[in-house]
This record gives sequence, C-alpha cells and structure tokens, in this order.
Amino acid sequence: MPATDTLPATAPFKWAKVIDHTRCIGCHACTTACKSENDVPLSVTRTYVKYVDTGYFPQARRSFQVTRCNQCDAAPCVTACPTAAMHRRPDGIVDFDKSICIGCKACIAACPYDAIFINPNDHSAEKCNFCAHRLDIGLEPACSVVCPTQAILVGDMNDPLSAVSEIIHRDAVAVRRPEKETRPKLFYKGADQVTLDPLAARRPDGGIFMWSEQGDVSHQVPSGHPGRWNNSAAAVLAYDIPHRAPWDWRVSLYTFTKSVAAGAYLMPLLLAALGLLPWTTVEWGVRGPLVAMIGLMLTGGLLVWDLEHPERFWMVLLKPQWKSWLVRGGFIITAYGALLAAHLGLAFMGRADLTPSLAWVGGPLAVLSAVYTAYLFAQAKGRDLWQSPLLPAHLLVQAFMAGGAVLLILVQDPRLVGPVVGFSGMSVVLHLGLVAGEVTMAHPTAHATLAARNMVWGRYAPWFWAGVLLPAAALLVVASVPAAAGLLVLAGLFAYEHAYVQAGQSVPLA
Amino acid sequence: MTNRDMDFNELNRRVSAARAETEARGETFYPGPSRVHLASFPPKERWNDWVELDSKAWPKRVEHRSMLVPTTCFNCESACGLLAYVDRDTLQVRKFEGNPEHPGSRGRNCAKGPATVTQITDPDRILHPLKRVGDRGEGKWAQVSWDEALDDIAGRIRRALEEKRHHEIMYHVGRPGEDGFTERVMAAWGVDGHNSHTNICSSGARAGFHFWMGMDRPSPDHANAKLMLLVSSHLEAGHYFNPHAQRIMEAKKNGAKLVVLDTRLSNTATHADHWLSPYPGSEAAIFLAIASWMIKERRHDRAFVRRWWNWQEYMEAVKGRTGASFEDFERVLEEEYREYTFEYAAAESGVDARTLREVAELVASAGTRLATHSWRSAAAGNLGGWQVARTLFLLNALTGSVATEGGTFPNSWNKFVPKPIRLPHQHPKHWNEMTWPREYPLVLMEMSFLLPHLMKERDGYLDVYFTRVYNPVWTNPDGFSWMEMLTDAKRIGLHVALTPTWNESAFFADYVLPMGHSSERHDLTSYEQYDGQWVGFRQPVLRAARERLGETISDTRQVNPGEVWEENEFWMDLTWRIDPDGSLGIREFFESRKHPGKKMTLDEYYGWIFDHSVPGLPDAAAAEGVTPLEFMRRYGAFEVAEKIGRVYEERVPDPELEDVHMDEAGRVFSRADNPASPNVVPLPPLEPDAEGRRRVGVQVEGEILRGFPTPSGKLEFWSRTLHDWGWPELATPTYVKSHIHRQNLDQDQMCLISTFRLPVQIHTRSANAKWLDEIAHTNPLWIHPADAARLGVARTGDLVRVQTEIGYFVVKSWITEGIRPGVVACSHHMGRWKPEGHEGQRLGMATVALDHQGSTWGLSRKKGVGPFESSDPDTMRVWWTDVGVHQNLTHAVHPDPISGAHCWHQAVRVLRAEPGDKYGDISVDIARSHAAYKKWLEFTRSADDHSPDGTRRPYWLLRPVRPERSAYRLPDRGTGGGD
Repeated sequence: MPATDTLPATAPFKWAKVIDHTRCIGCHACTTACKSENDVPLSVTRTYVKYVDTGYFPQARRSFQVTRCNQCDAAPCVTACPTAAMHRRPDGIVDFDKSICIGCKACIAACPYDAIFINPNDHSAEKCNFCAHRLDIGLEPACSVVCPTQAILVGDMNDPLSAVSEIIHRDAVAVRRPEKETRPKLFYKGADQVTLDPLAARRPDGGIFMWSEQGDVSHQVPSGHPGRWNNSAAAVLAYDIPHRAPWDWRVSLYTFTKSVAAGAYLMPLLLAALGLLPWTTVEWGVRGPLVAMIGLMLTGGLLVWDLEHPERFWMVLLKPQWKSWLVRGGFIITAYGALLAAHLGLAFMGRADLTPSLAWVGGPLAVLSAVYTAYLFAQAKGRDLWQSPLLPAHLLVQAFMAGGAVLLILVQDPRLVGPVVGFSGMSVVLHLGLVAGEVTMAHPTAHATLAARNMVWGRYAPWFWAGVLLPAAALLVVASVPAAAGLLVLAGLFAYEHAYVQAGQSVPLA
Repeated sequence: MTNRDMDFNELNRRVSAARAETEARGETFYPGPSRVHLASFPPKERWNDWVELDSKAWPKRVEHRSMLVPTTCFNCESACGLLAYVDRDTLQVRKFEGNPEHPGSRGRNCAKGPATVTQITDPDRILHPLKRVGDRGEGKWAQVSWDEALDDIAGRIRRALEEKRHHEIMYHVGRPGEDGFTERVMAAWGVDGHNSHTNICSSGARAGFHFWMGMDRPSPDHANAKLMLLVSSHLEAGHYFNPHAQRIMEAKKNGAKLVVLDTRLSNTATHADHWLSPYPGSEAAIFLAIASWMIKERRHDRAFVRRWWNWQEYMEAVKGRTGASFEDFERVLEEEYREYTFEYAAAESGVDARTLREVAELVASAGTRLATHSWRSAAAGNLGGWQVARTLFLLNALTGSVATEGGTFPNSWNKFVPKPIRLPHQHPKHWNEMTWPREYPLVLMEMSFLLPHLMKERDGYLDVYFTRVYNPVWTNPDGFSWMEMLTDAKRIGLHVALTPTWNESAFFADYVLPMGHSSERHDLTSYEQYDGQWVGFRQPVLRAARERLGETISDTRQVNPGEVWEENEFWMDLTWRIDPDGSLGIREFFESRKHPGKKMTLDEYYGWIFDHSVPGLPDAAAAEGVTPLEFMRRYGAFEVAEKIGRVYEERVPDPELEDVHMDEAGRVFSRADNPASPNVVPLPPLEPDAEGRRRVGVQVEGEILRGFPTPSGKLEFWSRTLHDWGWPELATPTYVKSHIHRQNLDQDQMCLISTFRLPVQIHTRSANAKWLDEIAHTNPLWIHPADAARLGVARTGDLVRVQTEIGYFVVKSWITEGIRPGVVACSHHMGRWKPEGHEGQRLGMATVALDHQGSTWGLSRKKGVGPFESSDPDTMRVWWTDVGVHQNLTHAVHPDPISGAHCWHQAVRVLRAEPGDKYGDISVDIARSHAAYKKWLEFTRSADDHSPDGTRRPYWLLRPVRPERSAYRLPDRGTGGGD
C-alpha cells in the first residue's frame, strides 16, 4: 500500500455511510423522512428502497437496497458539472449548489447510479448530500435518525473507532458498480448481488410491481432486465421507482447539427486540401462555412434550450469547471464559431484568399467540434454504450458524412460532383462499417449489450434502421440524384444519432 | 457563507467538540445510531428555540428557528412519538421527526411518521362541518356552523335519553388511538353504545390469550428473547410495527433466532431464520406438534407447568381424577396431543416435518426467552383462528416464558391507563343486542361487522350513529349491506361521521364533522411494546407552541386549519349541550372541579390526570420546575415503570390479607380493600367468595401469590368458561379446521388471504398522504406461477376474476414465488373510491359508478387517479393512475362463533377475466351475503341454549363499557344474578 494511503495521525474528516442490509426491513421510512427533511417533490426522490424477490417457493427471499447517491470519492457528477454546482467537499461529501446549476443534466448523465434528478420546483439538480446541513450543526442525517432498525450509519472513515470504520474495514461490505472506478463511500453490509446489479432482476410484466405501477412517464428508463435475468437465481424486481433518461431528442438533434456544423466546413476543406475542390469555389468560400455557421448556431440554441436554467447558460463560459467536457466543448464551439465568423467575414470582404490560411486553425477546431462529444458522452460513466474508443473517430466520420451530404445538396458545378459523390460515399461506407462493428461485436458489459439490443432490436430500432438504410439507399442513388442522396444521408444520420443517444440512456442504472 | 469559503476540517472539529460542549453545559446529548459525535436530536433543553439550517437554500447557511413540540403519531396503532418542528416565524409545522423521549418508539418512526406533514397540508381535507342537503349518499353538502350541528345532535341524543331509548345511540370506532376518553363519555351517558372494529381485527387472537390468562393481548419482550416466534409481519406492519421491529432486530443482532409463520413472503419472513409458509389455518396444528414433541420429550418447564397451570381443575373436571399427581397430568397431556406429530402438522400445513422439528428444537431450547406474537394474521383469518393464539401461547406456557425476560407478557402488565378525573361510577342499565347478541355470548368485542344483518333481523333503529376512524363501508366485509343500511332512514336516523378526510362511509353520512390529525388533537395512549409501562400524550402542537409564546388557547379550533376540531373538546361540548342543566346526571362528569358550574377544560382534565394518576411524573416535572401538564406538553411521553417482571409470582402483601379465606381450588379471598391504583387498565372482574371477600390471589405451593386474573387464578389450560358455555371440545388448546381447510373447499377453489398490510399504508387513513401513495398504490393478486399456469394466467398484470361466495372482483395478477401454491393473496390496503360527482381524496381514490338492482350491487371504475390542480403544486405530479381494487365488498360475513372475529380468509375461484370484465369491476348479491350470515349463525351456541346461569355472557370476560350486572340477565330467563 502506498504511504499516502495509510492513515495520518490527524487525518482529515472523510464522511462515509454504511447501509446495513442485515438490518433493513424495507419500510421506506428513510424515503419519506428524506422527502420531509429536504422538501423533495413527488415524482423524484433522493433515496428509495428497491425490492427484489428471489428464489422458488418455499425457498424464497426478498432483498432490499436503500438506493441513493454513493458519495463517490471520484465523483463523475463533479467531473461532468460545467459550473462546479456539483462539488466534492474536502470532507468527502459530494454536495451541490443550486444557485449555479444551469440544469444541463450532465451530472445525471454522468452518474452511474442514477442518483441525481432535476427538482421540478426549482429546476436544479439535486441528490442525497448526506444532509450536510444537519451534519454541519452536529445532527445525524434524517434517514439515519428515522430508521427503526438503525440500518443507516454515518461516520468518519478516517476515525478508526467510528462504527462505519469498524464495519467498512472489518465486515464484508460491497459497493455498487465498483468497475466504474468512482470509489463510492456508501458501503453496503449484507447487500445482495441481485439488488446491487441493476440488471440482475427481471422486470415484471404488466407494468406493475408488487404494490405499485412501474409508471409511464416521459423519457422513462424501464427498470430491471427486460428478458429473463442477469443472474441464474430467479430474481424479480418487486419494487422500484420510475427512472428517467436525462437527455431527450434535443441532445440527439444537437449531435446531428454539430456534425453538420463540423462537416460542412471539413468536407470542403478536405476536398480543397486534396486539390479536388478549388479554394476559390463558393462551396469553400461561403456555402460550406455558412451552413456550418447555421449548424453551429442551431447547436448552441439546442444546448441552451435543453438547459433547465437557460438564463444561466453564460455560466458555462464565465464560471467554467475545466474538467467538464461541456465546458471544454463550449469553448471549442465558441472558438469554432469565431473562426467561422472570421472566415465568412473575410469572404464577404473579398479576402477569401486568406481563408485557406485560416483553415490551419479552422480544421482542428472543426475536428474538435465533431469529436469532443465523444468525450462528453464518455463522462457519462454509467452509459456503457458510449464508452467506445471508436466513438471519436466515428463522430468524425459522421461529420464528414454530414458535410458530404451538405455538399451533395449544394454543389452545382458538375466538375465537382464526382469528388463530392466519392468522398460522401466513402464516409457513408465508413459509417456503415463502424455501425456494423458496433452491432456485430460482442459488448463488454451486460449494460452495453442491452443498450445495443435496445438500439438495434428494441425501442429505438426504427430510428436505428432508418439510420442504416437511408444512407445505404443514398449510396444507390447518389450518382443519379446527388441532392436526394444528400437528404437521405442527413435524415439517416439524425435517425442514427437519435437511436444512439437514446439507447445509450435506455438501460437502468439503479 | 457557502461551501466554498469553509474550512471543513475546522468545521468538523468544531462540530465534534460540540458533543462535549453540550454535555458540559448539562444538556442532553441524544446519541444516534452511528455512535459518533452527531446527535440524533437537538438537546431537549433547546427545543423551545432550535436553530437549524435550511436544506433548500443550502449551501447558503440560512437559519430557521423552530419550536419542537411533541405529539403522537396516528398513522397506525403503535402511537409512536413525533416531534413537530413549528416554525417560529410562520407558526406552521415544517416537519415531523420522532420523539427521543418516547420510550416505545425511542425517536424512530416508519414511513408513515414523517408523512404526517402531508396529511395536515392535504388539499382535499375537510375544513368545515358539513350537513347533507340532498338524499343520503347523493353527495350534496352545505357548510354549517359547529353550533348548529352540535345543537341538532345533542337535541336528538337528549330526547333519546329522556325517552329511555339509550340503545338508539351508538358510537362506532375503528382503531381508537386513545385510552379511555370516549369510553368514559359513553359511561357518563349511561349508554351501552360503544361499538368497535375489533372483531374484524384482533378479536380472534384476543380470545386465544384471554381464555389462557384473563388478559387479551401478548406483549413479547423481543429485545431480550432467544427465539422470536411470530405469526405476524411485525417488521413491516401491525401492532406495534416500529417499536417491535426495533426490538426484533436488536435481538437478532444479539444472536436471537427469528421464526415467522406467514403464508406469503413478507418483509418479515425474509429476515426469518425459518420462514414457514403454512397452508392458512394450519398454524395451530404446527404449534400443537411442537407442543406434543416437547411434552413427549419432557422438554417443557415442568416446575412452571406444575405451579401455574390449572391442571388439577382439568384433571378433576374432565378426567374425574381428584388428587391426581402432576405426573399423571403429564401422561394425560402427552396422550391428548399424541396425534399431533410433525408428520401430521406437515400434512396439514405443507411445511415439511424436518423444518418443523428444527423449529421445535429452537422453541424448546429458548426456555424462558421465547417471545411469541400473534395479533391478527391467522387468528383473524380462520374459523377457530382464536385457537392459533391459544396454541401459540401454549408454547409460552410450556416453556415458562410468561412475563419473563425475553418472554411474552400479558398486555395489561405492560400498559398504563391513568385514572381520569371524575370517572363515571354508573354503568349502562341496558344491554345492547345490536352489539352483543346472545348468539355470541363469549365474544370479547362487539359484533360490529354484523350490524346491517342484526338491524335487519331485529328491526333495529339507531337514532344517532357516530362513526370515528371507522369506515365500515370500505373496511368491513360486505360493504354493500352497509351502504344499504346507511341509506335507509328506517335504520339510521342520523349518521355523524367524525373524520379528518373523506371516506366511503362519510359519503353516506348526515353530518361530516372534521376532526384533527395526529398533531391537531389530544389523546392519551399507552401500549404494550416492551417490558415497561409508559404514557404518551397526543396534543395539538400549534396550541402548545402558541401557549409557549404566551397566548391563551381555550379551544383547539383556534389553532387548527379551517374549523377542524378534535374529539375531546367535541365530546365535552356535546355532552354539555345534551345535559345543559345537569338534570340527566351526565353533565357532572364534564364539570370543572376548580370552577363548579363551568365546563371542564382539557387543561384541567389532563392536568388532573398527570397530577394524580401517573406515578413519578409529578416528581419528574418538579425536577424541571414545571407542572406535570407542562412536562407532558414539553416531552410528550413518560415512562412509569420498566422491568415489570412476573407479576403472578409476586406475594400478596400482608396489608391486603385480612380475614383471608382460601377455597378448594387454592383461590385466596380477603376482606381488605382493593388498594387504589392509578392504573385503570381493563382487567376482568374477579368473583368474590360467598361472603363477599375480594379475590386477592392464589395459593401456590404454600405461598399466596398474585396469580392471573382468571376464574382459577392460574393459567387456564382448560377453560371452565368454554366448557360450561357449550364448547367442552374446545376448552383446551386445540386445532380447529378452518372454514378454508382444504376439505371444506371444492376442487376448483383456492384460499384468498385478504388481510395483509403494506408497510407504508394504514387502512383507510393514509390515502391523503402523497408520499405514501407514491410508494404504494395498487394491490394485485399474488398467485404462484404453478397456479397461474394452471388457470391460464400468462403474465403478471393479466386480469383475473376472483369469485367469492357472494360476488366477484376483477383485479390484476402478481405472479410470484412468494406465495404457497393453492393460495392467493391480495393486500387490503388498497381500493379506495369515491362515487362520481362526490368530493373525495383525489390522491388516493378512484372515481366509480355504483349501481344496484334488487339485491345485486355493482361498482365499476370510471377513472383512476392522476395529476390535478390544487394548492399543492405536487398534485400536478401524480404519475400513478391505479389505486387498487376494493375486495372487501365481495366478502361475506364470517363470524367465529366463539371469538366473534370475522374470519377473513375466503374460499374463492380464481378465473381469467371474462371478455367484458374491466379492471376494478365488483359485483355482489347481498341476498347471498345475508344467507352467509345465517349460515354462520348456525355455528353458534346461543346463551339462550347454553348459558349455565341465565346470563347473556360470562361476567368475568372483558367488555368495554360494562353494563350493570342486572343487564347481564337474559330477559326471559329467571332471576339469576349472573354468576
């Protein structure tokens, strides 16, 4: 063990929590005490108790899991938050500040435990924060206090005499999804694998649980495993709450408009750099960059529209938390927008001759604009489908595909059609190849497998297959009616983006 | 200051030091479960002005100042302590936490405690007295003043009393949630009009315990047990869920074993070391098999059995062997139970014999640390269910684990009901045949659920009928018969519903009078939750808070929302109006002692009780420099005693022994007066000897000991009462085959368990609690996969039609391994409804259409729940649509002939829903339900035919608001005084 991991004599406070499932009776007292203490509205919750029934009569049991924020030492929500509204206090509490939350839901996407939600009253992200407002005045959290069987304990992990230290270090404890490398500080004693693994238990038929409805809410992520179960013991989800995906069609559309924005600049740049398109053409000089600019403005618009607090969008740039790819992306697309403005400005001022030099900066910015979303998605640690090393490359291909499609529609000079058709076709083929890989390769986790299945064969199959078949159809007609092919490619690209973005969020995390 | 500016190490060091500082200041540090420097509650010394940080403004440190005012939860029977946080600025309750000063709940609560705040802010609650303006049940109401309502009701009652129509007044209460207040009102009125819900609840178990020990409920000392044997689900529901769950888990952590009998997989069963899922009704066979084995192996506590069972009486009366030795008795006992082998019990219950043998070993080796519990469950489900409790307690009686540390106590020794001021001396002079019919002479509580049938049979009429925490249309079996009765002006003159919220019975009332929730009313409670005695005080917290601020509040309506009142003041005011001049001799019981001629205030009523009837409280209060009433208003609860121990083994002190007479059975009588006790917990009246000496105890092996309040003074293995009143075959603990025993079912019938509770709901009281509804809002039918496959129910959620003997209901299925094959189960906690066009609880009631043609009644669901506009933005976020199905409407009445308990289990046919069936459809023929009433009436052995002494009922049996002894005489039977 490295020296830094041993306990210093006056170690700083490090709050941790133990939930003792050898004591938990599944009574939901913690749920309502938390609602009361923190004024949590209906339809959302900071903590709840999941039930899973396992076994065959008469050897059957029910397992509970008090499900909530894990107070991760390496908290993905903190990394993903663009404004540091989600932050980790030095004493280990992952806390939040609603006054600077922009409502981007990046934290929700990032959390591998689905522990964060937008409060419908104030439109800001919240979650369990250890009842920090109580700890700081010397009181235990509301859930610990109410618990009839004293199953919820808090304490200083660095105090060897605390009850939590004793349990964490001496008992068999587990954390949820350690493979996400979040280093949770919520430890479960006596937890059952059938509850820890969100896919271990089968989702019951009929839209109900033992005494509640599964719910039919917008952007719902259905709970449990839709097939049999990810466990050879017969496990059925008996109680869960409705879960929601954070990012809706606006984010799907944003990835699309951003592909267009990047590609409409990159494709003419590529063709020009290869000598297949003269630098003096209107496609390079005005049309491509103009479409890129429009795409970029739509991208920004969608991003702001998707915020729960659109009036606070400026905080991304003025209160940046630099580890957030939303911040980094924000600066990239801002810079790219400035570059496009300069390009268009020069073009309109009649100094198009300077634009090729500008491309030394514009090219990398366009590439970054295209690919940064892969890193943004990768910050969503729980969404395994998005954790693909090929995603940056694929997004770049998609940008070229979009750019190609734009050119197919815009290009009028018959001499240019050939190269445009060729490169567009190549990008489509590359895209289809990458998609084929995504579909045919085995996925490394049950989560990714299920997400891919939802994308290809499940709820998002119509979008996915449109995303495959429309570009494929475009290949057939591209030589004869290039503009139509361009439209098919664009439509297909959006359909694919939507399937990919939504399927990535379609697997339960809790 | 926000998080960004904090030095957290410094902060945490400072907070750590705060504990030492708190203690150094002499303030109370309430340690929390985490055993760190954090407290679970603010020091009580600061409850008057506690500063906490606002969770909403966080991490800005915005302060809130609150007064912490204790009260008692009313969201089940446990009466757990609550602490209301009353905002000092707004004078509104911000939240409820537990009360660390409460000895039963010890600061902890279940989900229903914190949810209380949603009930007091429920946008659909009733805020003003309402009077019916259309036809009864039509849903048209006009707001009236309290004065108008009170004068009207009081006038009717006065006329009835003047015209000697006492039996036309009835107060029908569900779970009372209080000790003694309203019974005192009935006694003061001289009205035998108390009616309870208990025969649809705990009467079965009560009878089982009562015939053993003269006290009718068990009080297991779980915390100190070695084995806890539960016929219950006390880790999630029931009496006394939270207090018991705490102690059960505590014992488990100390190495105790837990055995749970429950046919379905409950949250409790999942924690059991042995989960036994018996076929319903076979529980007694299991206990007898364990007992039989213990007796055969001589693993019972022979000294205890010899000392404390009435075995000599049994040997003499049943075996005709005077002077038989204890060994003779043991041989007889062994023979009596020989047939109950593990194999027999396995065949009856479906639980394998090996498991039963293992459980038997656990029972035998638990010794005096065997804590058993049964409250409703099997005892409330089955014909003969009372024998489930009787055979369960047999195991305590065999192991000597009666009132021992870790054993099972009678409730009365762990309960303290302080004697009130001006306790009425009179008893009702009449006998109410509508509640205590002579066909059921041995029942412990009123035959309440038979009321519509008794009224019909005996042409009954109630001039004034109060319902309180009672919703018979919904809760009772055969609710359509109740609707028929309640809408019939020939049966009910005036129905007054006392309720905080709309309920299915209030729809059929004439007055709906809004009463407060738990934090808006006064009550006294004391329940047997461990080996100790405590008194809890429920109070209107805003009244207490504003009084602390110097205001004088003389009427709880001054602080409650709208015109919501509380029953205590209502009854006092009503009584005053019934007898304004005192001419009826009633007013005196509500007249101030301090100010003669004036109405007693609640401060005087409770102040007197706390001054005079709660030992130790005046001293504790004095130590804090406050009056006992102020002490209780401040802390909400007081522990009178702990470690009560084996009262029956106590020697009767010499001052109580005067001119002693001992009879042949060893019962000891004395001329000494009964020492005045401030604890008026109900106990059976013990017969004096022929010369009128009071019974003080029983002689056991040469010593005069307290014994048990039974006719013999011992634990009654054999009950002379049962024997003499026509049931000799059931006088000892035995196994009665239930009405749903497999031999009583047709091939295509299954047993339906309809009684189980959910951890977050409470009967019909909690549908107005949004947080609870969000968690639990439907009640699908639990069915085993094998049965589902057999019936063609392919998937969970598929509709099934459940046919009872009087009708059917259509419900969703929940296919689960958590239920025994051949048995189905449906929680009773769901299926609330309101008729179209009525107001009601929009959070938790479906809108339905009621119709009836002749004797056939139907209910069909028109609309589930959904988002709605109200003063609470949350109601727009109701995401669920279902509220479950009201199955009890389809149940016929099944009164056990001895205990009187409704036997809830149903013989049903479960079928795939028919093409026209819609979810929630209910159809019932109430002619068939009346026929079922008559069929079960045939099981009875009436006092007319079986009373050994010309009375209606054995006098010693417990009975609320006991009438005068002369009223016990059967009117057409001689002049017997009732011995």
